[in-house]
Amino acid sequence: MSDFDIKSIAKLASIKLSEDEQEKLTNDLSIILEHVQALSSLELDTNIEDVFIHPLEKELKLVEDIENESLTHDEALSNAPESKDGRFVVPPSME
Amino acid sequence: MELKNLSIRQLNNLFIEKKAKPSELYSDIFDTSANSESLLHAHLTLFEEKNIENAKNSDNRFENGKSTGLLDGIPIAIKDNINIKGELTTCSSKMLSNYRSPYNATVIEKLNKENVLYTGKTNLDEFAMGSSTENSAFGLTKNPWNTDYVPGGSSGGSAASVSARSAIGALGSDTGGSIRQPAAFCGLVGFKPTYGTVSRYGLIAFASSLDQIGPITKNVDDARIIYNSISGHDSLDATSIDSKQIKIPFDKSAKIGVIKELMEDGISDESRNEVNKVLQGLKEQGYQIKEVSLPLIKLSISIYYLIAPAECSANLARFDGVRYGLRVEGKTSYEMMQNTRAEGFGDEVKRRILLGTYALSAGYYDEYYGKALRARKKMIDEFSNIFNDVDFLISPTTPTAAFKAGEKTSNPLEMYMSDLCTIPANLAGLPSISIPTGLSNENLPLGVQVMSKPLTDLSLLSFSEIIEKEVDFNATPEGFGK
Repeated sequence: MSDFDIKSIAKLASIKLSEDEQEKLTNDLSIILEHVQALSSLELDTNIEDVFIHPLEKELKLVEDIENESLTHDEALSNAPESKDGRFVVPPSME
Repeated sequence: MELKNLSIRQLNNLFIEKKAKPSELYSDIFDTSANSESLLHAHLTLFEEKNIENAKNSDNRFENGKSTGLLDGIPIAIKDNINIKGELTTCSSKMLSNYRSPYNATVIEKLNKENVLYTGKTNLDEFAMGSSTENSAFGLTKNPWNTDYVPGGSSGGSAASVSARSAIGALGSDTGGSIRQPAAFCGLVGFKPTYGTVSRYGLIAFASSLDQIGPITKNVDDARIIYNSISGHDSLDATSIDSKQIKIPFDKSAKIGVIKELMEDGISDESRNEVNKVLQGLKEQGYQIKEVSLPLIKLSISIYYLIAPAECSANLARFDGVRYGLRVEGKTSYEMMQNTRAEGFGDEVKRRILLGTYALSAGYYDEYYGKALRARKKMIDEFSNIFNDVDFLISPTTPTAAFKAGEKTSNPLEMYMSDLCTIPANLAGLPSISIPTGLSNENLPLGVQVMSKPLTDLSLLSFSEIIEKEVDFNATPEGFGK
Protein backbone atom coordinates (compact mmCIF):
# COMPACT_ATOMS: atom_id res chain seq x y z
CA MET A 1 0.00 0.00 0.00
CA SER A 2 1.20 3.50 -0.78
CA ASP A 3 2.32 5.67 2.10
CA PHE A 4 0.34 8.77 2.67
CA ASP A 5 0.67 11.81 4.84
CA ILE A 6 -2.70 12.85 6.18
CA LYS A 7 -1.48 16.39 6.83
CA SER A 8 -0.50 17.00 3.22
CA ILE A 9 -3.78 15.49 1.93
CA ALA A 10 -5.75 17.69 4.34
CA LYS A 11 -3.81 20.69 3.08
CA LEU A 12 -4.65 19.82 -0.52
CA ALA A 13 -8.32 19.43 0.48
CA SER A 14 -8.28 22.68 2.51
CA ILE A 15 -9.59 21.04 5.66
CA LYS A 16 -8.05 21.75 9.04
CA LEU A 17 -7.87 18.53 11.06
CA SER A 18 -7.42 18.10 14.80
CA GLU A 19 -4.79 15.67 16.10
CA ASP A 20 -7.52 13.15 16.93
CA GLU A 21 -9.01 13.45 13.47
CA GLN A 22 -5.62 12.98 11.87
CA GLU A 23 -5.12 9.74 13.76
CA LYS A 24 -8.60 8.40 13.10
CA LEU A 25 -8.63 9.35 9.42
CA THR A 26 -5.18 7.84 8.87
CA ASN A 27 -6.53 4.59 10.25
CA ASP A 28 -9.79 4.74 8.24
CA LEU A 29 -8.07 5.62 4.98
CA SER A 30 -5.50 2.85 5.48
CA ILE A 31 -8.32 0.29 5.83
CA ILE A 32 -10.10 1.58 2.72
CA LEU A 33 -6.91 1.85 0.64
CA GLU A 34 -5.99 -1.68 1.62
CA HIS A 35 -9.39 -2.86 0.42
CA VAL A 36 -9.11 -1.09 -2.94
CA GLN A 37 -5.71 -2.73 -3.48
CA ALA A 38 -7.79 -5.61 -4.89
CA LEU A 39 -7.79 -3.58 -8.10
CA SER A 40 -4.01 -3.58 -8.41
CA SER A 41 -3.83 -7.23 -9.44
CA LEU A 42 -6.48 -6.71 -12.11
CA GLU A 43 -5.23 -7.13 -15.67
CA LEU A 44 -6.82 -4.40 -17.76
CA ASP A 45 -6.50 -4.02 -21.49
CA THR A 46 -8.60 -0.85 -21.52
CA ASN A 47 -6.73 2.32 -22.41
CA ILE A 48 -7.47 5.38 -20.34
CA GLU A 49 -8.21 7.17 -23.65
CA ASP A 50 -11.18 4.82 -24.17
CA VAL A 51 -12.69 5.68 -20.82
CA PHE A 52 -15.47 8.25 -20.76
CA ILE A 53 -16.80 10.07 -17.77
CA HIS A 54 -20.40 9.52 -18.89
CA PRO A 55 -21.12 5.81 -18.42
CA LEU A 56 -23.23 5.68 -21.57
CA GLU A 57 -22.27 8.47 -23.98
CA LYS A 58 -18.93 9.19 -25.57
CA GLU A 59 -19.47 12.91 -25.90
CA LEU A 60 -21.17 15.40 -23.67
CA LYS A 61 -23.52 17.76 -25.47
CA LEU A 62 -22.68 21.42 -25.26
CA VAL A 63 -25.40 24.06 -25.37
CA GLU A 64 -25.47 26.86 -27.91
CA ASP A 65 -23.77 29.99 -26.62
CA ILE A 66 -26.96 32.00 -26.33
CA GLU A 67 -27.76 34.37 -23.49
CA ASN A 68 -30.49 32.99 -21.25
CA GLU A 69 -32.32 34.08 -18.16
CA SER A 70 -30.19 33.34 -15.12
CA LEU A 71 -29.92 34.25 -11.45
CA THR A 72 -30.11 37.97 -10.76
CA HIS A 73 -27.16 39.68 -9.08
CA ASP A 74 -29.05 39.83 -5.79
CA GLU A 75 -30.10 36.18 -6.00
CA ALA A 76 -26.51 35.13 -6.62
CA LEU A 77 -25.42 37.04 -3.51
CA SER A 78 -28.41 36.02 -1.39
CA ASN A 79 -26.60 33.19 0.41
CA ALA A 80 -23.20 34.87 0.73
CA PRO A 81 -21.81 34.92 4.29
CA GLU A 82 -20.64 38.48 3.58
CA SER A 83 -21.20 40.81 0.64
CA LYS A 84 -20.76 44.50 -0.05
CA ASP A 85 -21.51 46.73 -3.04
CA GLY A 86 -22.77 43.76 -5.02
CA ARG A 87 -19.65 41.68 -4.42
CA PHE A 88 -18.58 38.74 -2.24
CA VAL A 89 -16.35 39.83 0.62
CA VAL A 90 -13.46 37.58 1.72
CA PRO A 91 -10.61 38.00 4.21
CA PRO A 92 -7.26 39.19 2.78
CA SER A 93 -5.26 36.63 0.82
CA MET A 94 -2.12 37.36 2.82
CA GLU A 95 -1.65 38.43 6.39
CA MET B 1 -59.18 2.34 3.62
CA GLU B 2 -57.62 5.68 4.41
CA LEU B 3 -56.65 7.91 1.50
CA LYS B 4 -52.94 7.91 2.43
CA ASN B 5 -52.72 4.15 1.82
CA LEU B 6 -53.98 4.34 -1.76
CA SER B 7 -51.95 4.41 -4.96
CA ILE B 8 -51.59 7.57 -7.05
CA ARG B 9 -53.94 6.18 -9.71
CA GLN B 10 -56.59 5.23 -7.12
CA LEU B 11 -56.38 8.69 -5.56
CA ASN B 12 -56.65 10.39 -8.95
CA ASN B 13 -59.76 8.35 -9.75
CA LEU B 14 -61.37 9.34 -6.44
CA PHE B 15 -60.56 13.01 -7.11
CA ILE B 16 -62.00 12.81 -10.64
CA GLU B 17 -65.13 11.04 -9.40
CA LYS B 18 -65.40 13.71 -6.66
CA LYS B 19 -65.40 11.04 -3.95
CA ALA B 20 -62.41 12.66 -2.26
CA LYS B 21 -60.48 15.94 -2.44
CA PRO B 22 -56.73 16.65 -2.53
CA SER B 23 -57.14 18.90 0.54
CA GLU B 24 -58.60 15.95 2.50
CA LEU B 25 -55.62 13.82 1.50
CA TYR B 26 -53.23 16.63 2.40
CA SER B 27 -54.69 17.01 5.90
CA ASP B 28 -54.71 13.19 6.28
CA ILE B 29 -50.99 13.18 5.45
CA PHE B 30 -50.21 15.95 7.93
CA ASP B 31 -52.25 14.30 10.68
CA THR B 32 -49.92 11.34 10.17
CA SER B 33 -46.73 13.36 10.21
CA ALA B 34 -47.84 15.15 13.39
CA ASN B 35 -47.40 11.76 15.10
CA SER B 36 -44.76 10.08 12.99
CA GLU B 37 -42.21 12.88 12.85
CA SER B 38 -41.49 12.90 16.59
CA LEU B 39 -40.94 9.15 16.40
CA LEU B 40 -39.05 8.87 13.11
CA HIS B 41 -37.63 12.28 12.12
CA ALA B 42 -38.14 11.65 8.40
CA HIS B 43 -38.53 15.32 7.40
CA LEU B 44 -36.13 18.16 8.11
CA THR B 45 -38.64 20.77 6.94
CA LEU B 46 -42.43 20.41 6.77
CA PHE B 47 -44.42 22.58 4.37
CA GLU B 48 -47.94 22.12 5.76
CA GLU B 49 -49.09 25.73 6.00
CA LYS B 50 -47.57 26.77 2.70
CA ASN B 51 -49.54 24.26 0.69
CA ILE B 52 -53.01 24.54 2.18
CA GLU B 53 -53.88 27.12 -0.47
CA ASN B 54 -52.35 24.96 -3.21
CA ALA B 55 -54.36 21.97 -2.01
CA LYS B 56 -57.54 24.04 -2.30
CA ASN B 57 -56.51 25.04 -5.82
CA SER B 58 -56.20 21.35 -6.66
CA ASP B 59 -59.68 20.79 -5.21
CA ASN B 60 -61.03 23.50 -7.51
CA ARG B 61 -59.34 22.07 -10.60
CA PHE B 62 -60.91 18.65 -9.99
CA GLU B 63 -64.22 20.30 -9.16
CA ASN B 64 -64.12 22.09 -12.53
CA GLY B 65 -62.80 19.10 -14.48
CA LYS B 66 -59.51 20.89 -15.17
CA SER B 67 -56.98 18.78 -13.30
CA THR B 68 -53.43 18.74 -14.63
CA GLY B 69 -52.97 14.99 -14.53
CA LEU B 70 -52.21 12.05 -12.27
CA LEU B 71 -49.96 14.00 -9.89
CA ASP B 72 -52.29 16.95 -9.37
CA GLY B 73 -52.76 17.30 -5.60
CA ILE B 74 -50.50 14.35 -4.70
CA PRO B 75 -48.27 14.95 -1.63
CA ILE B 76 -44.64 14.14 -2.47
CA ALA B 77 -41.62 14.40 -0.14
CA ILE B 78 -38.35 15.77 -1.53
CA LYS B 79 -34.89 14.72 -0.39
CA ASP B 80 -33.10 17.71 1.08
CA ASN B 81 -30.35 17.75 -1.55
CA ILE B 82 -32.80 18.80 -4.30
CA ASN B 83 -33.39 22.53 -4.66
CA ILE B 84 -36.83 24.08 -4.27
CA LYS B 85 -36.71 27.83 -4.84
CA GLY B 86 -36.93 29.87 -1.65
CA GLU B 87 -36.72 26.81 0.61
CA LEU B 88 -33.87 25.48 2.73
CA THR B 89 -31.69 22.85 1.03
CA THR B 90 -29.38 21.69 3.78
CA CYS B 91 -28.03 18.36 2.46
CA SER B 92 -28.20 17.48 6.19
CA SER B 93 -24.95 19.40 6.60
CA LYS B 94 -23.90 22.17 8.97
CA MET B 95 -22.25 23.62 5.87
CA LEU B 96 -25.66 24.44 4.33
CA SER B 97 -27.88 24.74 7.41
CA ASN B 98 -29.07 28.19 6.31
CA TYR B 99 -28.88 27.80 2.53
CA ARG B 100 -32.03 28.86 0.70
CA SER B 101 -32.01 27.91 -2.93
CA PRO B 102 -32.50 30.80 -5.37
CA TYR B 103 -33.68 28.39 -8.09
CA ASN B 104 -35.65 25.19 -8.72
CA ALA B 105 -34.11 21.88 -9.72
CA THR B 106 -35.41 20.73 -13.12
CA VAL B 107 -37.32 17.86 -11.46
CA ILE B 108 -39.09 20.43 -9.28
CA GLU B 109 -39.98 22.59 -12.31
CA LYS B 110 -41.50 19.47 -13.86
CA LEU B 111 -43.44 18.47 -10.73
CA ASN B 112 -44.65 22.07 -10.32
CA LYS B 113 -46.25 21.89 -13.77
CA GLU B 114 -48.24 18.89 -12.53
CA ASN B 115 -49.29 20.71 -9.34
CA VAL B 116 -47.71 18.28 -6.92
CA LEU B 117 -48.10 19.25 -3.25
CA TYR B 118 -44.77 18.95 -1.46
CA THR B 119 -44.85 17.62 2.10
CA GLY B 120 -41.40 19.05 2.82
CA LYS B 121 -37.71 18.17 2.66
CA THR B 122 -36.45 14.85 3.97
CA ASN B 123 -33.43 13.81 6.00
CA LEU B 124 -30.39 12.17 4.40
CA ASP B 125 -26.83 11.20 5.16
CA GLU B 126 -24.80 14.40 4.86
CA PHE B 127 -24.38 15.25 1.15
CA ALA B 128 -25.92 11.80 0.40
CA MET B 129 -22.82 10.02 1.71
CA GLY B 130 -23.92 7.04 3.73
CA SER B 131 -26.17 4.02 3.91
CA SER B 132 -28.12 4.57 7.12
CA THR B 133 -29.09 8.29 7.44
CA GLU B 134 -26.98 8.27 10.62
CA ASN B 135 -24.57 10.77 9.05
CA SER B 136 -27.09 13.62 9.14
CA ALA B 137 -25.92 16.70 11.06
CA PHE B 138 -29.53 17.11 12.24
CA GLY B 139 -30.07 13.71 13.86
CA LEU B 140 -30.84 10.27 12.52
CA THR B 141 -34.05 8.97 10.97
CA LYS B 142 -35.60 5.77 12.29
CA ASN B 143 -37.10 2.84 10.44
CA PRO B 144 -40.93 2.78 10.74
CA TRP B 145 -40.84 -1.03 10.87
CA ASN B 146 -38.76 -0.98 14.04
CA THR B 147 -37.36 2.23 15.45
CA ASP B 148 -34.22 0.51 16.76
CA TYR B 149 -33.19 0.00 13.14
CA VAL B 150 -31.94 2.37 10.45
CA PRO B 151 -34.17 3.21 7.46
CA GLY B 152 -31.17 2.83 5.13
CA GLY B 153 -29.62 5.69 3.26
CA SER B 154 -28.80 8.01 2.05
CA SER B 155 -32.45 8.72 1.12
CA GLY B 156 -33.59 7.38 4.52
CA GLY B 157 -35.93 10.29 5.26
CA SER B 158 -37.68 9.90 1.90
CA ALA B 159 -38.16 6.15 2.45
CA ALA B 160 -39.30 6.54 6.07
CA SER B 161 -41.84 9.22 5.10
CA VAL B 162 -43.48 7.03 2.43
CA SER B 163 -43.36 3.96 4.66
CA ALA B 164 -44.99 5.88 7.53
CA ARG B 165 -47.56 7.36 5.11
CA SER B 166 -46.50 10.95 5.74
CA ALA B 167 -46.07 11.23 1.94
CA ILE B 168 -47.62 9.36 -0.99
CA GLY B 169 -44.29 9.17 -2.79
CA ALA B 170 -40.86 10.74 -2.54
CA LEU B 171 -37.87 11.77 -4.58
CA GLY B 172 -34.49 10.44 -3.60
CA SER B 173 -31.09 10.43 -5.23
CA ASP B 174 -29.02 7.31 -5.85
CA THR B 175 -25.23 7.35 -6.23
CA GLY B 176 -24.47 3.81 -5.03
CA GLY B 177 -27.88 2.54 -3.92
CA SER B 178 -29.26 5.51 -1.97
CA ILE B 179 -32.79 5.06 -3.39
CA ARG B 180 -32.94 1.26 -3.65
CA GLN B 181 -31.34 0.32 -0.32
CA PRO B 182 -33.62 2.49 1.88
CA ALA B 183 -36.61 1.39 -0.21
CA ALA B 184 -35.68 -2.25 0.50
CA PHE B 185 -35.16 -1.54 4.22
CA CYS B 186 -38.57 0.16 4.48
CA GLY B 187 -40.66 -2.26 2.36
CA LEU B 188 -41.03 0.06 -0.64
CA VAL B 189 -40.29 0.31 -4.34
CA GLY B 190 -37.16 2.33 -5.15
CA PHE B 191 -36.24 3.10 -8.74
CA LYS B 192 -32.90 4.40 -10.00
CA PRO B 193 -33.42 5.36 -13.66
CA THR B 194 -30.89 5.04 -16.49
CA TYR B 195 -28.13 7.61 -15.92
CA GLY B 196 -28.94 10.76 -17.86
CA THR B 197 -32.69 10.20 -18.26
CA VAL B 198 -33.54 12.44 -15.29
CA SER B 199 -31.86 15.85 -15.11
CA ARG B 200 -29.43 16.40 -12.25
CA TYR B 201 -29.72 20.18 -12.53
CA GLY B 202 -30.48 21.46 -9.03
CA LEU B 203 -29.44 18.25 -7.30
CA ILE B 204 -26.48 19.18 -5.07
CA ALA B 205 -23.74 17.08 -6.66
CA PHE B 206 -21.98 14.28 -4.81
CA ALA B 207 -20.45 12.12 -7.57
CA SER B 208 -21.60 13.49 -10.89
CA SER B 209 -21.03 10.43 -13.08
CA LEU B 210 -23.06 8.27 -10.67
CA ASP B 211 -25.80 10.51 -9.15
CA GLN B 212 -29.34 10.01 -10.39
CA ILE B 213 -32.69 11.23 -9.06
CA GLY B 214 -35.58 8.78 -8.83
CA PRO B 215 -38.77 7.87 -6.98
CA ILE B 216 -39.46 5.93 -3.78
CA THR B 217 -43.06 4.72 -3.70
CA LYS B 218 -45.47 2.13 -2.33
CA ASN B 219 -45.81 0.34 -5.66
CA VAL B 220 -44.31 0.10 -9.15
CA ASP B 221 -47.06 2.05 -10.91
CA ASP B 222 -46.53 5.06 -8.62
CA ALA B 223 -42.81 4.93 -9.45
CA ARG B 224 -43.63 4.90 -13.16
CA ILE B 225 -45.99 7.88 -12.84
CA ILE B 226 -43.33 9.94 -11.05
CA TYR B 227 -40.58 8.78 -13.43
CA ASN B 228 -42.67 9.75 -16.46
CA SER B 229 -43.11 13.19 -14.95
CA ILE B 230 -39.49 13.92 -13.99
CA SER B 231 -37.61 12.34 -16.92
CA GLY B 232 -36.66 13.94 -20.23
CA HIS B 233 -33.77 15.74 -21.84
CA ASP B 234 -32.57 18.93 -20.15
CA SER B 235 -30.04 21.25 -21.72
CA LEU B 236 -29.12 22.51 -18.23
CA ASP B 237 -27.49 19.14 -17.50
CA ALA B 238 -24.64 18.32 -19.88
CA THR B 239 -24.96 14.61 -19.07
CA SER B 240 -28.69 14.50 -19.84
CA ILE B 241 -29.52 11.98 -22.58
CA ASP B 242 -31.69 12.89 -25.54
CA SER B 243 -32.60 9.32 -26.51
CA LYS B 244 -35.81 7.37 -26.81
CA GLN B 245 -36.64 4.42 -24.60
CA ILE B 246 -35.79 0.97 -25.97
CA LYS B 247 -38.50 -1.68 -25.67
CA ILE B 248 -37.46 -5.14 -24.56
CA PRO B 249 -39.77 -8.12 -23.93
CA PHE B 250 -41.07 -8.45 -20.38
CA ASP B 251 -43.57 -11.23 -21.01
CA LYS B 252 -42.64 -14.92 -20.84
CA SER B 253 -40.32 -14.56 -23.81
CA ALA B 254 -38.00 -12.43 -21.65
CA LYS B 255 -34.79 -14.10 -20.52
CA ILE B 256 -33.83 -13.71 -16.88
CA GLY B 257 -30.28 -13.85 -15.52
CA VAL B 258 -29.38 -14.46 -11.89
CA ILE B 259 -26.05 -12.87 -10.97
CA LYS B 260 -23.92 -15.65 -9.49
CA GLU B 261 -21.56 -13.29 -7.66
CA LEU B 262 -24.46 -11.61 -5.82
CA MET B 263 -25.84 -14.92 -4.53
CA GLU B 264 -22.59 -16.05 -2.85
CA ASP B 265 -20.50 -14.99 0.15
CA GLY B 266 -21.51 -11.82 1.92
CA ILE B 267 -25.21 -12.31 1.14
CA SER B 268 -27.46 -13.50 3.96
CA ASP B 269 -29.62 -16.61 3.54
CA GLU B 270 -32.68 -14.42 4.01
CA SER B 271 -31.75 -12.12 1.14
CA ARG B 272 -30.88 -15.07 -1.10
CA ASN B 273 -34.16 -16.80 -0.25
CA GLU B 274 -36.15 -13.78 -1.42
CA VAL B 275 -34.46 -13.99 -4.83
CA ASN B 276 -35.09 -17.73 -5.04
CA LYS B 277 -38.74 -17.19 -4.15
CA VAL B 278 -39.15 -14.68 -6.99
CA LEU B 279 -37.27 -16.94 -9.43
CA GLN B 280 -39.47 -19.91 -8.53
CA GLY B 281 -42.57 -17.86 -9.25
CA LEU B 282 -41.20 -16.65 -12.58
CA LYS B 283 -40.21 -20.19 -13.53
CA GLU B 284 -43.73 -21.41 -12.80
CA GLN B 285 -45.04 -18.67 -15.07
CA GLY B 286 -42.82 -20.01 -17.85
CA TYR B 287 -39.88 -17.59 -17.81
CA GLN B 288 -36.44 -18.87 -18.84
CA ILE B 289 -33.91 -18.36 -16.08
CA LYS B 290 -30.17 -18.88 -16.19
CA GLU B 291 -27.23 -18.16 -13.95
CA VAL B 292 -24.82 -15.56 -15.29
CA SER B 293 -21.42 -14.43 -14.10
CA LEU B 294 -20.07 -10.88 -13.93
CA PRO B 295 -16.68 -11.40 -12.27
CA LEU B 296 -15.90 -7.69 -11.90
CA ILE B 297 -18.93 -7.16 -9.68
CA LYS B 298 -16.80 -8.50 -6.84
CA LEU B 299 -14.57 -5.45 -7.27
CA SER B 300 -17.36 -2.91 -7.57
CA ILE B 301 -16.94 -1.57 -4.00
CA SER B 302 -13.23 -0.96 -4.67
CA ILE B 303 -13.99 0.78 -7.98
CA TYR B 304 -16.76 2.83 -6.44
CA TYR B 305 -14.78 3.96 -3.39
CA LEU B 306 -12.16 5.48 -5.65
CA ILE B 307 -14.42 7.07 -8.27
CA ALA B 308 -17.13 8.43 -5.95
CA PRO B 309 -14.72 10.07 -3.44
CA ALA B 310 -12.63 11.49 -6.32
CA GLU B 311 -15.70 13.15 -7.81
CA CYS B 312 -16.92 14.17 -4.36
CA SER B 313 -13.62 15.88 -3.53
CA ALA B 314 -13.92 17.96 -6.71
CA ASN B 315 -17.64 18.73 -6.27
CA LEU B 316 -17.40 19.71 -2.61
CA ALA B 317 -14.48 22.05 -3.26
CA ARG B 318 -17.17 24.69 -3.91
CA PHE B 319 -17.98 24.88 -0.20
CA ASP B 320 -15.34 27.41 0.71
CA GLY B 321 -17.19 29.94 2.86
CA VAL B 322 -17.32 32.52 0.07
CA ARG B 323 -20.50 32.25 -2.00
CA TYR B 324 -22.91 30.32 0.21
CA GLY B 325 -23.13 28.28 3.36
CA LEU B 326 -21.16 28.38 6.55
CA ARG B 327 -18.19 30.68 7.11
CA VAL B 328 -15.81 30.31 10.05
CA GLU B 329 -13.54 33.31 10.19
CA GLY B 330 -9.78 33.17 9.71
CA LYS B 331 -7.03 35.74 9.28
CA THR B 332 -6.58 34.93 5.61
CA SER B 333 -8.92 33.57 2.92
CA TYR B 334 -7.12 30.25 3.02
CA GLU B 335 -7.37 29.99 6.80
CA MET B 336 -11.06 30.92 6.63
CA MET B 337 -11.59 28.17 4.04
CA GLN B 338 -9.77 25.55 6.13
CA ASN B 339 -11.68 26.51 9.27
CA THR B 340 -15.00 26.56 7.44
CA ARG B 341 -14.52 23.11 5.93
CA ALA B 342 -13.28 21.72 9.27
CA GLU B 343 -16.40 22.95 11.04
CA GLY B 344 -18.95 22.50 8.24
CA PHE B 345 -18.30 18.91 7.13
CA GLY B 346 -19.02 15.79 9.21
CA ASP B 347 -16.72 12.78 9.62
CA GLU B 348 -17.91 10.72 6.64
CA VAL B 349 -17.78 13.67 4.25
CA LYS B 350 -14.25 14.53 5.39
CA ARG B 351 -13.23 10.89 5.00
CA ARG B 352 -14.46 10.79 1.41
CA ILE B 353 -13.04 14.18 0.44
CA LEU B 354 -9.62 13.17 1.77
CA LEU B 355 -9.77 9.74 0.10
CA GLY B 356 -10.72 11.37 -3.19
CA THR B 357 -8.07 14.06 -2.87
CA TYR B 358 -5.47 11.34 -2.34
CA ALA B 359 -6.73 9.20 -5.24
CA LEU B 360 -6.48 12.23 -7.55
CA SER B 361 -3.17 13.58 -6.27
CA ALA B 362 0.01 13.71 -8.34
CA GLY B 363 1.79 10.38 -8.35
CA TYR B 364 -1.28 8.37 -7.32
CA TYR B 365 -3.76 9.28 -10.05
CA ASP B 366 -2.88 6.39 -12.38
CA GLU B 367 -2.60 3.88 -9.55
CA TYR B 368 -5.98 4.70 -8.04
CA TYR B 369 -8.41 6.88 -9.99
CA GLY B 370 -7.11 5.93 -13.45
CA LYS B 371 -7.20 2.24 -12.62
CA ALA B 372 -10.72 2.54 -11.21
CA LEU B 373 -11.94 4.30 -14.36
CA ARG B 374 -10.48 1.55 -16.55
CA ALA B 375 -11.98 -1.16 -14.35
CA ARG B 376 -15.33 0.61 -14.54
CA LYS B 377 -15.16 0.57 -18.34
CA LYS B 378 -14.43 -3.15 -18.26
CA MET B 379 -17.40 -3.72 -15.95
CA ILE B 380 -19.65 -1.79 -18.36
CA ASP B 381 -18.39 -4.08 -21.15
CA GLU B 382 -19.20 -7.14 -19.01
CA PHE B 383 -22.76 -5.88 -18.54
CA SER B 384 -23.11 -5.17 -22.29
CA ASN B 385 -22.09 -8.73 -23.10
CA ILE B 386 -24.49 -10.21 -20.56
CA PHE B 387 -27.36 -8.15 -21.98
CA ASN B 388 -26.80 -9.89 -25.33
CA ASP B 389 -27.92 -13.05 -23.54
CA VAL B 390 -30.51 -11.93 -21.01
CA ASP B 391 -33.06 -9.12 -20.70
CA PHE B 392 -33.20 -8.72 -16.92
CA LEU B 393 -30.73 -9.36 -14.13
CA ILE B 394 -32.00 -10.33 -10.70
CA SER B 395 -30.20 -10.16 -7.36
CA PRO B 396 -30.91 -9.24 -3.76
CA THR B 397 -31.07 -5.45 -3.22
CA THR B 398 -29.15 -5.65 0.03
CA PRO B 399 -26.96 -8.32 1.64
CA THR B 400 -29.18 -8.26 4.76
CA ALA B 401 -32.32 -6.60 6.08
CA ALA B 402 -31.96 -3.27 7.95
CA PHE B 403 -29.31 -3.16 10.66
CA LYS B 404 -29.54 -1.54 14.08
CA ALA B 405 -28.63 2.12 14.54
CA GLY B 406 -25.00 2.36 15.67
CA GLU B 407 -24.18 -1.17 14.49
CA LYS B 408 -21.93 -0.16 11.59
CA THR B 409 -20.85 3.37 12.43
CA SER B 410 -17.42 2.45 13.80
CA ASN B 411 -16.25 0.60 10.70
CA PRO B 412 -16.64 2.53 7.42
CA LEU B 413 -15.82 -0.47 5.27
CA GLU B 414 -18.54 -2.57 6.86
CA MET B 415 -21.04 0.20 6.12
CA TYR B 416 -19.79 0.41 2.51
CA MET B 417 -20.38 -3.35 2.08
CA SER B 418 -24.12 -2.85 2.53
CA ASP B 419 -24.12 -1.32 -0.98
CA LEU B 420 -22.50 -4.35 -2.61
CA CYS B 421 -25.51 -5.25 -4.77
CA THR B 422 -26.60 -1.74 -5.73
CA ILE B 423 -23.31 -0.08 -6.71
CA PRO B 424 -22.81 -1.94 -10.05
CA ALA B 425 -25.89 -0.29 -11.63
CA ASN B 426 -24.47 3.17 -10.83
CA LEU B 427 -21.06 2.31 -12.22
CA ALA B 428 -22.66 1.07 -15.45
CA GLY B 429 -25.44 3.70 -15.63
CA LEU B 430 -28.15 1.00 -15.72
CA PRO B 431 -31.78 1.35 -14.70
CA SER B 432 -32.34 -0.61 -11.51
CA ILE B 433 -35.25 -1.15 -9.18
CA SER B 434 -35.84 -2.64 -5.74
CA ILE B 435 -39.16 -4.42 -5.25
CA PRO B 436 -40.31 -5.38 -1.73
CA THR B 437 -40.84 -9.15 -1.54
CA GLY B 438 -41.00 -10.32 2.07
CA LEU B 439 -40.01 -10.00 5.70
CA SER B 440 -37.00 -11.24 7.63
CA ASN B 441 -37.19 -13.32 10.81
CA GLU B 442 -37.05 -10.04 12.70
CA ASN B 443 -40.06 -8.75 10.79
CA LEU B 444 -38.03 -6.31 8.68
CA PRO B 445 -38.59 -5.90 4.94
CA LEU B 446 -36.39 -7.42 2.25
CA GLY B 447 -36.24 -6.51 -1.43
CA VAL B 448 -35.18 -7.98 -4.72
CA GLN B 449 -33.30 -5.91 -7.29
CA VAL B 450 -33.81 -6.06 -11.05
CA MET B 451 -31.50 -4.37 -13.57
CA SER B 452 -31.75 -4.08 -17.35
CA LYS B 453 -29.79 -2.44 -20.12
CA PRO B 454 -29.66 1.35 -20.47
CA LEU B 455 -32.82 3.13 -21.67
CA THR B 456 -35.12 0.17 -20.98
CA ASP B 457 -36.58 1.85 -17.89
CA LEU B 458 -40.21 1.45 -18.93
CA SER B 459 -39.83 -2.22 -19.84
CA LEU B 460 -38.05 -2.77 -16.51
CA LEU B 461 -40.99 -1.17 -14.70
CA SER B 462 -43.45 -3.38 -16.59
CA PHE B 463 -41.46 -6.50 -15.71
CA SER B 464 -41.26 -5.32 -12.09
CA GLU B 465 -45.04 -5.15 -11.99
CA ILE B 466 -45.17 -8.84 -12.91
CA ILE B 467 -42.90 -9.64 -9.95
CA GLU B 468 -44.89 -7.31 -7.72
CA LYS B 469 -48.12 -9.11 -8.62
CA GLU B 470 -46.56 -12.51 -8.14
CA VAL B 471 -45.11 -11.86 -4.65
CA ASP B 472 -48.11 -9.81 -3.53
CA PHE B 473 -46.23 -8.11 -0.70
CA ASN B 474 -48.71 -5.96 1.19
CA ALA B 475 -47.37 -5.84 4.75
CA THR B 476 -47.09 -2.43 6.37
CA PRO B 477 -45.24 -1.29 9.49
CA GLU B 478 -47.30 -1.57 12.66
CA GLY B 479 -48.88 1.72 13.56
CA PHE B 480 -48.52 3.04 10.00
CA GLY B 481 -50.65 2.04 7.03
CA LYS B 482 -53.84 -0.02 6.63
